[in-house]
Amino acid sequence: MKVKLFFLVFLLVPGVSLAKVDLVTLPQRDHVQLTIYNSADLTLIKESRSLTLKEGFNDLQFSWVNTLIDPTSLEMLPLANADQIDVQSLTYPPLLKNVGLWHIRSSVSGQVPFEISYLTSGLSWRAFYLGTLDPDEQEMRLQGFVRVQNNSGEDYEKAQVRLIVGTVHVIDQISFLANRQHPYGSPGIINFEREHWGGGEDYDADALDMKDAIDETFYALADAESFREEGEMRTPKKIIKEGLSEYFLYTIEGRETVPNGWAKRMPSFDVEKIPVVNLYKYEEERYGSQVVRFLSFKNDEDHQLGETPIPGGMLKVFRQVDQEKHLSYEGQSGFKYIPVDEEVELNMGGVQNVIVEPTLMDYQSANYMFDRYGNIIGWDEIREYKIKLKNTRPIPVKVEIKRNIHNSKWAIQNQGDVGTYEKIDADTVQYTIHLTERENKEIVYALTTFHGRRADYQ
Amino acid sequence: MKKNMYLKSVIMLSMFCFLSLSVAEARIKLVALPKRADTIIRLDNPQFTLIEEERVLTLQQGLNKVDFSWNGVSIDPDSIRIDILSHSDQVTLLNVSYPPNENALVWEISSAGAREEKIRVSYLLSNIDRLITYKSVADKAETQVNFKSHLILRNFSGEDFANAKVLLDYGESFEEGIRHEETKQLLFLKAGTVPIEKVWQWDSKKQIWDPEEVDQNVGIPVHYRITNTTDSNLGQNALWNGKMRVFQLDGHGSTILLGEDAVDLTPVGEDMEVYIGDSRDLVVTQRKMVDKQTNIRRNTSGRVVLYDNEEQVTAKIENFKDTNAKLKMVQHIPGEWDMHSCNFEYKKENANTIEFEIDVPAQGKAELVMHYFRRNIRN
Amino acid sequence: MKWIPLVMCFVLVSGGICEAKVDLVSLPSRDSVQLTIYNSADLTLAKESRSLTLKEGFNDLQFSWANTLIDPTSLELVPLTNADRIDVQALTYPPRVKNLGLWNIDSGLSGQIPVEISYLTSGLSWRAFYLGTLTPDEKEMRLKGYVRVLNNSGEDYENAQVRLIVGKVHIIDQIAQLAQRQYPYERPGIYPAAQPEVHSKRSRQDVRVMKSVMMGEGIAFGSVAPMETKEIIKEGLSEYFLYTIEGRETILNGWSKRLPSFDVASVPVVNLYKYEEERYGYQVIRFLSFKNDEDHLLGETPIPGGLLKVFRNVDAENHLSYEGQSEFKYIPIDEDVELNLGAVQNIVVEPKLMNLKTENFMFDRHGNINGWDEVRTYKMEVKNTRQVPVEVEIKRNFNALKWDIHNEGAEVKYEKIDANTVKYKLALQSKENKTFQYTLRTFHGRRGDHK
Repeated sequence: MKVKLFFLVFLLVPGVSLAKVDLVTLPQRDHVQLTIYNSADLTLIKESRSLTLKEGFNDLQFSWVNTLIDPTSLEMLPLANADQIDVQSLTYPPLLKNVGLWHIRSSVSGQVPFEISYLTSGLSWRAFYLGTLDPDEQEMRLQGFVRVQNNSGEDYEKAQVRLIVGTVHVIDQISFLANRQHPYGSPGIINFEREHWGGGEDYDADALDMKDAIDETFYALADAESFREEGEMRTPKKIIKEGLSEYFLYTIEGRETVPNGWAKRMPSFDVEKIPVVNLYKYEEERYGSQVVRFLSFKNDEDHQLGETPIPGGMLKVFRQVDQEKHLSYEGQSGFKYIPVDEEVELNMGGVQNVIVEPTLMDYQSANYMFDRYGNIIGWDEIREYKIKLKNTRPIPVKVEIKRNIHNSKWAIQNQGDVGTYEKIDADTVQYTIHLTERENKEIVYALTTFHGRRADYQ
Repeated sequence: MKKNMYLKSVIMLSMFCFLSLSVAEARIKLVALPKRADTIIRLDNPQFTLIEEERVLTLQQGLNKVDFSWNGVSIDPDSIRIDILSHSDQVTLLNVSYPPNENALVWEISSAGAREEKIRVSYLLSNIDRLITYKSVADKAETQVNFKSHLILRNFSGEDFANAKVLLDYGESFEEGIRHEETKQLLFLKAGTVPIEKVWQWDSKKQIWDPEEVDQNVGIPVHYRITNTTDSNLGQNALWNGKMRVFQLDGHGSTILLGEDAVDLTPVGEDMEVYIGDSRDLVVTQRKMVDKQTNIRRNTSGRVVLYDNEEQVTAKIENFKDTNAKLKMVQHIPGEWDMHSCNFEYKKENANTIEFEIDVPAQGKAELVMHYFRRNIRN
Repeated sequence: MKWIPLVMCFVLVSGGICEAKVDLVSLPSRDSVQLTIYNSADLTLAKESRSLTLKEGFNDLQFSWANTLIDPTSLELVPLTNADRIDVQALTYPPRVKNLGLWNIDSGLSGQIPVEISYLTSGLSWRAFYLGTLTPDEKEMRLKGYVRVLNNSGEDYENAQVRLIVGKVHIIDQIAQLAQRQYPYERPGIYPAAQPEVHSKRSRQDVRVMKSVMMGEGIAFGSVAPMETKEIIKEGLSEYFLYTIEGRETILNGWSKRLPSFDVASVPVVNLYKYEEERYGYQVIRFLSFKNDEDHLLGETPIPGGLLKVFRNVDAENHLSYEGQSEFKYIPIDEDVELNLGAVQNIVVEPKLMNLKTENFMFDRHGNINGWDEVRTYKMEVKNTRQVPVEVEIKRNFNALKWDIHNEGAEVKYEKIDANTVKYKLALQSKENKTFQYTLRTFHGRRGDHK
């Protein structure tokens, strides 16, 4: 095996010291399953191997030099005859790094399938999306991908790959646990290092060294095997999505081989025509004095989606400009996890082709109140605003204008004919305006704010 | 022209079909190097340049691996797309692999049969873009300009393009080759004769009130106003932001440079204002002649709590030119106010800005007198 | 062009760029050059006409400008005939070559075609300069105007039509900086930094090299040649004035040339003296005042700003005395001019505070002062110790917004300048003294409320 994960099983007759002499079997990995998280640098690995046990006590040595395995997560379970096989202890021998020794008492002899599981760091995945708008921007083809990256130091061949969407709570970074001098530290130094696990850089350096040790022949052979079967048309692998507790589990159909250092992108879904809304927003407090473009749709059946949540990721949006499918690049937007039935608004950045220009046209104060000492204790301020809207695009757009009123007591009188506002919260209103292609509109309103004692009467 | 003779692409597309090669080995032993066919450089997005190139792959039946690598150029790997053009139902992209520490990716493509397949590869390439410049030549009477615009193509991407179709978001495309580190200027818009309006503008916030108090000349900014409409022989599309140089015919068969300005993006129907230079033949002297508190309200301790401020501002405008001039005057009055008297009509731009258009006869004078009260000033 | 090393060459190329230097077809010389030089910015518009031999179809023309200060983004080529059949398709700035442009021309005909090549360059400049000679009684002044043209552009311009622009153009990039960019339009993602004021050292060195070559060849030309007085034709264009120097001028790199612009024998002038503490301190400043109009034998064109050196004829033999110098700004037609000649001691203005009192106190209901008046009496003594009559202007600024003023002294005239400034104007005969007095009342606190 070219990898740094050596799995050696020794059948030991007298004791540990003789182990290195008297080795009996070297079992192969029969099957490996990777469950990769993206909210933390964490992957659960399960491998099954067949061990030849003798009746009585068996010692098994497991080593994982140059990997990023958390030794405290190691577990071994017999998959058959569980009542007759007792995994009594796991010992981390002194002076040896990255070695564990299982002490097993068996009532049976012969081949027994086992599952060995552990957590490792260095494997990761992320979602990535490509959107292609049709020329009139009413619909979008949305292609989702997952990209799996293997920097774990270990080559995983023909592995079942599963991805977890959701946030898990971990108290120790796996990469920190993998790099500790002693699996559980040593007494008196309680989690001191954890404060510093930002020093993941240290292990990265190790991870780089590991690559040198890769023996390529194994994979050359492995790939040769898989490609020998080719010849007929294949389709991209399906990704099966299912909910589990608070998470979503994506299982990639079939087996994948991801050598260390490589990344692989696989299609997750491909929806042809999602109805989208070209939404433009204006809110000075949030976006400054520019109009920000959003693409909006809903993760539901009406939008050909809604089966599963959509994991957060980066979406690159193109637009098809002609019949020959030539593209124009529209922009990109990172978004967070979208639950089923949730409305999505993808921020595509500031634009110049839809214009919103608010102008304060008039300001007055009135209704002064004075206390008995002649001091001002209340007044009103009346501001008249005119908001010019301009759609210079050849397609219809929707514009949302939020106005924050920096006062808690207020009243608005609309003077234009473009509809009224919607109250968003105590001091925010929103105007929603639909503009057809190249249309201009104007909103006029008068805002009265009540100050001091004048607010008491409102 | 033999421009492309010594060009060598740094973006490579190589193809290999393998039966017995590992991924790592396969990337070295390439079988075919498909030539780049039609290439499009799309410059419609001011921040990103999208390259589309078409190539023909010779596919084997079954699994094919296509290696796309680049060196010395900057490509956003997530932006790389492959579109199968000729047999999209029988040729499928299975997945993409990214080899370690390399600017490359490997597409796994499955084909139902051995065939030539046309594909289109798209990607965002950095350090290649365009600028827009304008040149206007005004007539002697300054009523119209000859208006044209150039496209400046700048390629510092590291990649040579022997021949590409260069597209903007409107207008005709250019068939052009452009090499790495090359800059090219192409005529892009020739509008012909475009009417202009010449505007002198004095702004009480930007200009000096009393030119006698300073030792340099105080000029009045002069703008040319060009309207982006079909009436002006424009109006087909928005005019992009860029640098404009304005010249004028001198009546002797030559021209002089009137000035230059950076103009903003001008949508259809909007005005483009080009600041060309300063006039020294219009002189504005503005002074505040009255400035006092009135309607004072005090509290019982005698402290002023509320008052109005009476102000009178006069602006003397002298025109030393042989021709009449229309001066746009911008005055700013802070807070809440009302005009008591004003000898010229004005337009309220916003709550605190008013604008006058004052005709000043040739070699004549005009005087603006504004008498206003700033109301309800709280102490 | 025979004296100078070839800094600008023009090559007709029929092949690709790489062959350009080998396979050149024609090297047309400049037929004529026109320079339009600005003084508000380091900027000159150069236009040259050349004859090109074009063939039908595609022609590549190479233009190079090493060691000059040309802005490559300003280059333009326009055919002067057959414009409809000659299409200038692109201007390419090839990679890894500096100061070189390549025009791709699609021609519908073959033969000699006159073209105009224009560009902007830095390094040429001009300034106005004036000499004034007062008559002994200082009532009139002879005013001579000159223009001085300086060529530091790196290029020799011979037999050029020279034109000067008076006026302030708006520019957003310094030509000297554009001329020295590594790439004509820079590279994507790089925004030009704040612009340096003057050319870099490199350009100056280039200029120096050019100059030494010239001197080495022993050329002394142009400015030392006998100079006939050339007329300068002045005309208004847009907001600017264009001065065209009659005939042709040769201005070699590194040289400058002074040309007379106008000469008016007797411009009536006024000796004006000003006093304003806030502006000039406690001293009197001398001004020479006249108007750019017909009454003053001027008024045909504006007078470009420049330095005036003023002398005075002291006797019949035209011996001169130096009176001072003044830098003045552009003077439009019909505008009053006041030339600041500096502080003098022979005119004296002495303000004296003669009396100060406070009165009309007001109190609030707690007995605290909340209003009062301050009354100040000033005596102003003005002395003319000179032999010639003078005018004196005295400005007084008040710190209070509410005030009134009472004057004593018969012939004192004053003018309200703005809310808190007045101006007194006095005319004094030779050796005359005048005194006047004024009382200024300022209102403070609540005393100001109703004023």
